[in-house]
Amino acid sequence: MKEVYSNFMRSLLSGKFTISGEVDPPRDANRAAVEEQVRHLKEHVVAANVTDNPIGDVIMNTLAPCVIMQELGLEAIYQATCRDRNRIALQSDIIGAAALGIKNVLALTGDHPKMGNHPQAKPVFDLDSVLLTRVLRRLREGENMAGEKLEHPPRIHIGVGLSPGVEPLEPEIIKLEKKVEAGAEFAQTQCIYDEKVLERLSEETAHLDIPILPGIAPLRSVGMAKFMLANVPGISIPEELMKKLENSSNLTETAIDIAAELIAAVKDYGFPGVHLMPVGMDAHVGEMIARSGVR
Amino acid sequence: MIITRQKPMEEILEMLSPYRGVALVGCGGCVAFYRTGGAKQTREMAEKLREAGVSVVALGMANRQCYLCEESEVAGLSDAERIRKVARELEGFAQLEKAEAVLSLACGVGVQNLANILDIPVLPAQNTLFMGRRRVEGDFDLEQCLGCGDCILAFTGGICPIARCAKSLMNGPCGGVFNGMCEVSKSRVSEHPVPCAWIEIYRKLKKQGRVQELRKIRPPKDFTRAAHMRKVAWGVQK
Ligand code: SF4
Ligand code: SF4
Repeated sequence: MKEVYSNFMRSLLSGKFTISGEVDPPRDANRAAVEEQVRHLKEHVVAANVTDNPIGDVIMNTLAPCVIMQELGLEAIYQATCRDRNRIALQSDIIGAAALGIKNVLALTGDHPKMGNHPQAKPVFDLDSVLLTRVLRRLREGENMAGEKLEHPPRIHIGVGLSPGVEPLEPEIIKLEKKVEAGAEFAQTQCIYDEKVLERLSEETAHLDIPILPGIAPLRSVGMAKFMLANVPGISIPEELMKKLENSSNLTETAIDIAAELIAAVKDYGFPGVHLMPVGMDAHVGEMIARSGVR
Repeated sequence: MIITRQKPMEEILEMLSPYRGVALVGCGGCVAFYRTGGAKQTREMAEKLREAGVSVVALGMANRQCYLCEESEVAGLSDAERIRKVARELEGFAQLEKAEAVLSLACGVGVQNLANILDIPVLPAQNTLFMGRRRVEGDFDLEQCLGCGDCILAFTGGICPIARCAKSLMNGPCGGVFNGMCEVSKSRVSEHPVPCAWIEIYRKLKKQGRVQELRKIRPPKDFTRAAHMRKVAWGVQK
């Protein structure tokens, strides 16, 4: 039988609808900002991701919030990207994270530094997400990339990302197949606002033996929706959602409703769980889940 | 070919300012083909320098500055004699002795080769960008090879992801593809739109009926073969 190290993996294997959340590390050394997010999420999600300097902006590193969260009783999913670390740093970081109690790692390629506030930085990308996945499995199996044996391997579960709305989709699905072959045990997707994307995702990945958690994030305003459409790859937002936002007299309530409907749709399409990115609406996560009726 | 861009005149003038007599040497290779350092541009450069008050004593053209001669072939010769040996005269070769420095209009490789056989300073007129080609349509330059030392074009449809994917990925597109374009096209530092190399690779392989090539996990690049600053000992590399 497969060994299980984390509550998150245990939940997925149990067949229970599993909800993961997300914590955004602050720009500065503000521990309280992490604690605040954890307080809101803790009762509602099994585990929460900690991002790794998304778009390459400099913020608190991934490990510190992971450790703070776990001290407060919320399990962490450590996001590791290939943007800033070569194979030496990546392996070393994961080994250290495991020693500090991290049990889930999400292997991502990472955004190009040109996208962020340090565009002059040297991009690393020594490995890619498929190769990082394979390296993580090898570490867990007790060997580093140099073939040296590890007496105390990192006991981690390995997750990967997926962009379900990109066009053409076939190369993205092929890449997911490679990630599964490389050792991926779960996948979380980019934001989805369109049920058609959910439907297509469930069809195109039906042949794959991996739990996929579609990513859902509340839409807080028309402005945010337009920004996402223009700047985030693979996003589609149906006309009726735009109308709901336009006609809304209480944007917070509308955002909660839209998220709740999407969460319900995720379950309807038979996905084993959902990845909820609160994007600042941490205090309302409980309400989104309650209104969705998935639990 | 090697893609270059001429340096701004102010920078060239600043570089040349300590020297009283300057010789210009152009190149008949890539820089001639792409019109940044051929005979015509060498003459134009001389004109601009003279207008700015620089004493240009001689102009010459090397056939290819990336291959000039063996060091033994010029042993015992003066700098002026060496220039006469490796370059054909455009103007003023009788005055070469007066040159205190050489401005080379070749790429970085050519500048170094010329510098290697001369005692006087050889200065670059170009910024050398990369190996690739100039796309006349759309007027932009396309980097095509990084000289990685381990060519993978066989399974990438003849499109190099090491040079043409912004992240040099080995195993397919990242999540940053936006309508077939690479995410860096929308970066905060302004740029030409860049097509996603992996989408181009996918389309090409699809057309060739070879999409299965994308399904194999490709190993990490071996930077003992591919690192920049490497030295290849002739005859030693396997
Ligand atoms: S794979 Fe390497 S050698 Fe081949 S074109 Fe690309 S960079 Fe050049
Ligand atoms: S969008 Fe395409 S070219 Fe750009 S980094 Fe990603 S895979 Fe590479």
